[in-house]
Amino acid sequence: MATTIPTSAFIATPHRCSTGRSSAIWVQKAQFSASSSSLGVSLSLKRPSLRLVSVRCEANGAGMPVIPAEERWMYEESEINGPDIWNKTWYPKAADHVNTEKTWYIVDASDKILGRMASTIANYIRGKNLATYTPSVDMGAYVIVINAEKVAVSGQKRSQKLYRRHSGRPGGMKIETFDQLQKRIPERIVEHAVRGMLPKGRLGRTLFTHLKVYKGSEHPHQAQKPIPLPIRDKRIQFVKK
Amino acid sequence: MTRVRRGYIARRRRKKNSSLVSGFKGAHSRHTRTINQQTIRALFYSYRDRGRKKRYFRRLWITRINAVTRENQIFDSYSQFIHNLYKKQSFLNRKILSQIEISNNIGLSKISYKIIKPNKVNEERLK
Repeated sequence: MATTIPTSAFIATPHRCSTGRSSAIWVQKAQFSASSSSLGVSLSLKRPSLRLVSVRCEANGAGMPVIPAEERWMYEESEINGPDIWNKTWYPKAADHVNTEKTWYIVDASDKILGRMASTIANYIRGKNLATYTPSVDMGAYVIVINAEKVAVSGQKRSQKLYRRHSGRPGGMKIETFDQLQKRIPERIVEHAVRGMLPKGRLGRTLFTHLKVYKGSEHPHQAQKPIPLPIRDKRIQFVKK
Repeated sequence: MTRVRRGYIARRRRKKNSSLVSGFKGAHSRHTRTINQQTIRALFYSYRDRGRKKRYFRRLWITRINAVTRENQIFDSYSQFIHNLYKKQSFLNRKILSQIEISNNIGLSKISYKIIKPNKVNEERLK
């Protein structure tokens, strides 16, 4: 694989111990918690539940035992050298998506445009912001929404946007405006919006259960220590004219 | 005419197919007629999906690269990143890029810096 990017051996192969020459100067952002010595293929500190091989000389027994040469024949290639990352696309194992180790995010919905907020939430719930995104596996995070009754919509949607549901019987269509539904069950507005943006199917339904919407600013998930959801959409804040 | 039994001819022929559909649900792996139908489908799908497999994986790699590129915020999106990669005439393909970003915390951001930095330097010089 030829590349014109000068390699300071930062693309490490599992077979060789490569030391990343460059140091922490490349790490510009505080969020990258990689320790300055472990550049190259390393056990990722940012994602504790990823079970990946580390370069053997760096690992020091952290999951990759050294196998003496006489016993090499007993083991499979992947047990000796670690998984073949260049020929097999990574697929998560059960330990990589344990629900108890997932991040929890919190969003305050007051004066946020409904659709834009729902879109970011759906992305995080689905796990589309992660390098480890897999469509068939639930890799996403949990999201808590508070102050759901204060969510905003632009234009005339407050009185014109209709929420429909059907009881199944003829003539059983019930229609409500945004306003009426917000007075009745404000959580349903955010849930409806996010559900429409999540995939529909078995996995989508379990993803939807990772969304927790609350009226008011109290939520019972303090023990999960939710962090504020990073929102990059610049037009998400509702501006009254 | 004497009665002629066909013996094991039919069974031998059908047995060849039953290994192809082992593990299928219910009658699809047990009854000979459905086994016949299911082998035809299974072989058809495997033929068709050998081509699709290539598409699926490329799609997955692209989505993963997109996710990390947007997180890193050095480039705004996958399209910007790839465009700059091509401008630098790099031969790194998407499979490698996505595997780098999974196995290595900052691999992709390092690549992004190497791609973007020279351009920024040129812009400053031109000013």
